Amino acid sequence: MDFYLGLAQIIGIHSLLGLSAWCVLHTGQVSLAQGGFFAIGAYTAGMLTSMWGWPLVLALSVGALLAGAVAVAVGFPALRVKGLMLVVATTAFAEVVRLVFFNFKWRVQSPEGLVGPDGSLGFGGIRYFPGNGWTTLEVCILIWALVSAVLLLLWWLDRSRVGTLWRAVGEDELAAQSAGINLTAAKVSAFGIGGAIAGLAGGVFAHYATHIEHNNFSILLATFAIAYPIIGGLSSLAGTILAVIFIQGFLLEGLRFIGDWRSLMFGVLIVVVMLVRPGGFLNRSLGSGLGMRRTARRANTPSVSNGGHHA
Amino acid sequence: MGVTMLELRNLSRHFGGVKAVDELNLTVQRGEILGLIGPNGSGKSTTVNLITGVYLPTSGDVFFQGQDISRLAPHERCELGLARTFQNIRLFGHLTVWQNLWAARVVRERGWSGFKQRWLSGANAAREQAEELLVFGDLAHKRDMLAGNLAFGEQRRLELIRAAASGAELLLLDEPAAGMNAEEIEDLDNRIRSLRDQGRTILLIEHHMELVMEVCDRVSVLNFGRKIAEGTPAQVQQDSQVRAAYLGTDEAATA
Repeated sequence: MDFYLGLAQIIGIHSLLGLSAWCVLHTGQVSLAQGGFFAIGAYTAGMLTSMWGWPLVLALSVGALLAGAVAVAVGFPALRVKGLMLVVATTAFAEVVRLVFFNFKWRVQSPEGLVGPDGSLGFGGIRYFPGNGWTTLEVCILIWALVSAVLLLLWWLDRSRVGTLWRAVGEDELAAQSAGINLTAAKVSAFGIGGAIAGLAGGVFAHYATHIEHNNFSILLATFAIAYPIIGGLSSLAGTILAVIFIQGFLLEGLRFIGDWRSLMFGVLIVVVMLVRPGGFLNRSLGSGLGMRRTARRANTPSVSNGGHHA
Repeated sequence: MGVTMLELRNLSRHFGGVKAVDELNLTVQRGEILGLIGPNGSGKSTTVNLITGVYLPTSGDVFFQGQDISRLAPHERCELGLARTFQNIRLFGHLTVWQNLWAARVVRERGWSGFKQRWLSGANAAREQAEELLVFGDLAHKRDMLAGNLAFGEQRRLELIRAAASGAELLLLDEPAAGMNAEEIEDLDNRIRSLRDQGRTILLIEHHMELVMEVCDRVSVLNFGRKIAEGTPAQVQQDSQVRAAYLGTDEAATA
C-alpha cells in the first residue's frame, strides 16, 4: 500500500511540475528553466521549515512566490528571444541555479544538530512531515489537494481573458501584437505563474524527499516538465495529468524490470507522439486531427503570393 | 479637406542596398478610403509593416492623429486606434470565432476604466460592439467554431472584424481580396464601405484593380518604393507613369 501512496505522491509532485510547464507552453515558449524554479522552491521552503521552524503552508507559499519572482525577473530578458535561443537561455539559467545550490552552504544549529544546505553534500534533515507525525496518506492528501487547487486555478485562468491572451500569443505572435496584445506582458505573466507553480512543486518535493541535492534538479527534470504537457496536449489540463500518470506510473515504475531501457522508451515515446499526434494525445480534435491540419494549411496558401513581412 | 488621420513623412526603409520604401510621403484623411497600389515589389507591404510597427523605419516618421508613432510597438499603435489585416490570413486558428474577437477587444478593456466597464456597469460597450461585429461579419451562427475550421471567405471576414473589434479608427487592409471570387469581392466591397460609413478610415492595399477603382476615394501608386502618382481612381488610371509602371513602355525599359 505504501508503495502506491509513494507513487501517488511522486505523480502529484510531477503533475504540479507539468502544469507549470503547461502555462509557459501556452504562450508558445519552450522553457527548460522549470527545473531551476523547482529547485528554488525546494531549497527555500525546505530551509524555512527545517532551519527556522516555519509552518509548512507559509514556507511553501514563500518558496512559490520567490520562484515566481525570479521567473518574472528572468522572463523579461529571456523572453526577448524565441525558439531554440530561448531553450538555450533557459537551460543555461537552470544550470546556473543548480550550480549555485551545488556551492551553497548555510547551516544552523537545531535540536537535532546542524541543518541546512551543505553544498555538494546536499540538504538533508527536512523533517517536517515525520517531525510532526504526518502519515504517508496525509502527505498524499496534501499533495493532491495542492494539485487540485492549481488545476482549478489554471482551469479558471484558461477560460478567462488571460487564457485567451496566452493562447492567442501562442498561436501567432504577430497577429496577437497587431490585435493590441502586449506580448511581453502575456509571456512574462505566463512565465511568472509557471515559475510559482514549479516553486510550489519544489517545496513539496523537498519535504517529501527530506533530502535534496543539486542533481535532483538536472536538465532531466526540466525535460520531464515539458514532456508532460507536450505528450498530453495543450488543449486540456487533464492531458498533462494523464501524461504524468502514464510516464511516472507505467513507464518508470511499471516497467522497472527492464532497467535502464526505460529511459530509451521515454525518448521513443516523445518522438512517436511528435510524429503521430503533434498536438498531444488529448488534443481537442481527437479523431479529426489530420483533417484540421489540412484546413489550416489550405487557409495559409495565399501567403505564397508574397511573404514580405516574414523577413 | 478634413482632418489628417495618418501621415507618412519622408518615410524610408532600406534592406541592405534595397530601398524597399524610399522617401515616401502619404496622407490619409479621416473618413476616406485610400487605395495603395503598385506592381509586385513596389513596397506596399513594407509600407504597411512600417505603419503598424512590424518594421522600424530607416528614416522618416509616421504620424497618427498628429502623434509621432514611428517608434511605438505594434500593440501600442493598436491601442491608439490602428489595426490591420494580413495578406496571408493570420487568425488564432485554435481559438473560437468569439475568442478571436475577444482577444482583440481586450485592448479596449485595460486598466481601471476597463475594470469598471466589465464589472461595475451593467452594459459592456466593447462586448456589445463585438456582438454587432459578429453579425456584421455574418459569423454569429459560427461563434463557437474554431477559426481554423472556417471556410476561406469566412476567415477573411473574421480577420476583418477582428481588426475592427480592437476599436480601430484606421483599418489597414493588406490585400483583402486575395484569393476571392467575383461574388466574394462584391461582398467585400460592401463591407469596406459600411465600415467606412460606421466612421472608420480605411487604407486599402490591393492588387485587384476593379475593387480599388470601385471603392476608393483616392488612390496612391507606388513603384520602386516611391509614390509615382496620386488622385482619384479616374485620374490615376489616365496617368502615363502609372501605365508605364504596370504595362511597361520603351521609356521604362530604358530608364
